[in-house]
Amino acid sequence: MTDRVSFWEWIGFRSVGGIAEAGWGRTLVVAVVSFIYFLPVLFIIFTAIKPQGLALSVPPTLSPTSFFGLIPDQFVFTPTLDNFASVFSRVMTAGGQPESTGFDRFFFNSIVIASASVLLALVIGTLAAYGFSRYPLKGNDTYLFVILTTRMLPAIVVIIPVILMFRAVGLSGSYLGIIMLYAAFNLAFTVWMMKSFFDELSTDVEDAARIDGSSEIKVFFKICLPQVVAGLAATFVFGLILTWNEFLFALLLTGPDTRTVPVAMNQAVSSGGRGTDWTLLAAIETLFLVPVFLATFFLQDHLLRGVTFGTVRK
Amino acid sequence: MGQSEKSALRLTNVSKSYGRVRALENLSFRVAEGRFFVLFGPSSVGKTTTLRTIAGLIAPERGHVEIFGKDWTHEPIAGRGVSMVFQSFALYPHLTVYDNLAYPLIEEKRPREEIDRRVKETATMLRLDTKINRKPNTLSGGEQQRVALGRSLIRRPRILLLDEPLTNLDAKLRHDMRAELKRLHRQFGLTIVYATPDELEALSMGEEIAVMRDGGVVQIGTPDELFEAPCDLYVASKIGSPHMNMIKGKLATDNAALESAIGPLPFVKKLQAAEAGEAAVVGIRPSDVRFAGKGEQGLKANIAMLEPLGDVTIVSVETGGETLRMVLPESAASGLQPGQQAAVILDPSKFYIFRASSGRTMA
Repeated sequence: MTDRVSFWEWIGFRSVGGIAEAGWGRTLVVAVVSFIYFLPVLFIIFTAIKPQGLALSVPPTLSPTSFFGLIPDQFVFTPTLDNFASVFSRVMTAGGQPESTGFDRFFFNSIVIASASVLLALVIGTLAAYGFSRYPLKGNDTYLFVILTTRMLPAIVVIIPVILMFRAVGLSGSYLGIIMLYAAFNLAFTVWMMKSFFDELSTDVEDAARIDGSSEIKVFFKICLPQVVAGLAATFVFGLILTWNEFLFALLLTGPDTRTVPVAMNQAVSSGGRGTDWTLLAAIETLFLVPVFLATFFLQDHLLRGVTFGTVRK
Repeated sequence: MGQSEKSALRLTNVSKSYGRVRALENLSFRVAEGRFFVLFGPSSVGKTTTLRTIAGLIAPERGHVEIFGKDWTHEPIAGRGVSMVFQSFALYPHLTVYDNLAYPLIEEKRPREEIDRRVKETATMLRLDTKINRKPNTLSGGEQQRVALGRSLIRRPRILLLDEPLTNLDAKLRHDMRAELKRLHRQFGLTIVYATPDELEALSMGEEIAVMRDGGVVQIGTPDELFEAPCDLYVASKIGSPHMNMIKGKLATDNAALESAIGPLPFVKKLQAAEAGEAAVVGIRPSDVRFAGKGEQGLKANIAMLEPLGDVTIVSVETGGETLRMVLPESAASGLQPGQQAAVILDPSKFYIFRASSGRTMA
């Protein structure tokens, strides 16, 4: 068994050496289906680098390159990065100077709010999950079920009482308010996910650590937690994606300073009465994809790795 | 084994239940220092619960656990000087072999140099020195087993608990590990409590064996004592392979024979303290059943099945509705065919006689 890892694998790309197992035919089918799924994303990315006027042109332009003559010239456009520049700064009024759009702030808000709330939920949820898994209460499953009911209501149902409560305590429009709300919503999911990971662990391993002299705190931090890293990564990524894309709560509970990208995107597109600027929208969306894409990409190893490491023979 | 030997471990009337299930019921035994002590019994008789109680992972509801004279019943795990090898090995999956071995010493806050030295010593002793940077899941079953052993030995425990450590290994490895465990026992003079459902392991390794049933000890003795003088039907049926033949019947009026389906089985001498007509069971080991020689009067029997095991053959014969097993040398069994008629002799001097109602030995 060699532990040598190529540079590409080391930065996160997965090995492509496994084609022989499934054969080219099946690989091709999966490649085609994957491409179909990826097509909308690709279209948005291409739109983001189109010159502004070409977004709605008929016939549509399809590609920034002809792929060595594969695509006829009338479908090829000249790529530009102008749209990305105008995400952050552009002329807002006719004849005026370019002004800042505030999107640097909105991206910062999205990153801070999403990661803080997901991490907060992860810390509290993991501890709770360990408790539910290792120290079951009388009627354990009932409590777990109750926790999950918070996710059964659509956001639109709970939003009005939440708005009223946030107004009353002055949390409306603050970072703290929206982070706490997202954390609370992620908590149910985190507890369930992490409990299932803890349930998978062999309690013999923990008992071995107790006999080896570990306190309960050490059993948790030195023995249990390292075994569920894959679970932490998976829960983090799923929570991040949910929170990152959340619109309704953000629309109603963030203020001008704490606005997140989905809300700002909506306002950027619908303001001005000049119709929708599709290339600008595509540029925002492309940038919006990047952080979640990176997080998922770098954690994919953990997402794909099995939970049980095969040391315990069952 | 006189009482003068120092006790390493003494359990007194230990009881423990899980909900309505009684796991241990008035369990008592003592283990002398340096002894290889085996807890023997089928699964779910409480062997694991006993070991976990000794380790301190389980607090008993009643009774006392004394380790080297001190009552540890309600004391924490740390400080007992007891280590344990689990049936599942329970290695730390996220740590390398080195870190698995070092873990107990790190928890004892030993200096780094000492940890390093002792880990390397232990790894060498258990032939793990080339695997030291591997994770447990890349090791073979035997290697994982040795890591688990090493992790238990590295602290130099006063008592080593082994919970069916060989159950998860293949047959060849099991044989090697039995020898290895005996060697380690001699080398370190360790007190070992070893739980197993395997008769061969119990008899080949145990200096003293406690036969367990329903959360309690039925009989404690050396392998010879258990084989020669089982205290009841249960022990008699568990010790000895192939298992003892059991013939049910009633005592004859003079208490000197068993009236059974295969005919009267006269005893060597009259039973004391028995009632005529009482239901009883006669046990006889397969090695004490033989074919009748020329001119001898034996029980008429049919050969039902032959199981050649290499140097010996187990022959099952049917007589009077009972099936008796006998062990013959391979040479004596050659030429036998199922369905053949034969006459067999049961040696009355080798009879074990049990009271049917209680299962206790009568003679």
